[in-house]
Amino acid sequence: MSSFQILKLEYSACVEALTDALRGEDETAFFAAVDHIVHMREPGMFKELRQLTGDLQKALERFSIESRLQDIAENEIPDARARLTHVINMTDEAAHRTLDLVEQSGPLAERTAQEAATLIEAFENLKNRTAATSGYDSVLQSVEGLQPLVKSMERFLPAARSNSELIRRNLADVLMAQGYQDLTGQIIRSVMKLVEELETTLSSLASLSGDMVEHATMGESESKGQGPAVPGVTKGEHASGQTDVDALLSGLGM
Amino acid sequence: MSKDMKFLVVDDFSTMRRIVKNLLHDLGYPNVTEADDGKTALPMLQAGGFDFLISDWNMPGMSGLDLIKAVRSDAKLAKLPVLMLTAEAKREQIIEAAQAGVNGYVIKPFTAETLKEKLDKILGATAK
Repeated sequence: MSSFQILKLEYSACVEALTDALRGEDETAFFAAVDHIVHMREPGMFKELRQLTGDLQKALERFSIESRLQDIAENEIPDARARLTHVINMTDEAAHRTLDLVEQSGPLAERTAQEAATLIEAFENLKNRTAATSGYDSVLQSVEGLQPLVKSMERFLPAARSNSELIRRNLADVLMAQGYQDLTGQIIRSVMKLVEELETTLSSLASLSGDMVEHATMGESESKGQGPAVPGVTKGEHASGQTDVDALLSGLGM
Repeated sequence: MSKDMKFLVVDDFSTMRRIVKNLLHDLGYPNVTEADDGKTALPMLQAGGFDFLISDWNMPGMSGLDLIKAVRSDAKLAKLPVLMLTAEAKREQIIEAAQAGVNGYVIKPFTAETLKEKLDKILGATAK
């Protein structure tokens, strides 16, 4: 039986019903027959229509993902690179500022301590000298001995005060210099957000394309170094502290 | 070993070089020179005069590991005491460094005490 004969068999009853309804001018029967014919055609047609809508939707999604990816690649990645460079600059600046202040304060404290030590020694000497004598001699020794000491004190005290004030100010500046942590933290967090978005965008693109993205294995030489171990990121076995390193090395006979 | 030993500190971050230089100064070693990677450091070492090398691992140009390999394969420098000071903390890496011939390995972040302890240990061993 040819395919047209099958069609004839399937549709002849409906067509007859339609013709009868037309002849009899029966509106209800006419529409019922039309509906019946449409229903017979429906499965194939609707399947195709659904397929078409699905494809269109996928294409639209793909288009929006791809244009977002292009935007990320063209604008946001260079932007993120610039932001991270800024983080390096800020941390560099803060570290140097702190080191400058430490280098400046150390000698000030040292000088004050040394001068105080000299004065303490001079007082001890005077005490010993006056203790060895008595009466008028002792008073005379004290007065004579105290004069240069008082002069030294007059020189020392203002210097000690200004040195301490300067050290205190430097410490306050050291404190302020640590503000970079907050700022760089925020920048790094924003870059992390971008990386996260990139990851989701890429994986949805991969699932739309219907293939799995093969994760590239790290084939690079260990000789290059990989930077600090980041908890939760760094894979493989790594030493968590100096004690681990020492244990490992002594195991190797070092 | 005397206190006027000459140190070469190799690190690509100038802040870290400064920190190490200050620490060495505090430990009584004022004679410290800096280099920012292996490529710069090697000719300085080959020119002679250095008694101790402290090197980072991860640097652009020539890495610390490659620098140490180059140092050990140079007859004049083969016995130079070398301390690796790095954030690289993988087990294989530490073993690789030991095989390359480092005398000590300190991981960042580190303390002044750890640095002193390793220096003393290396200097004590090489003095014998």
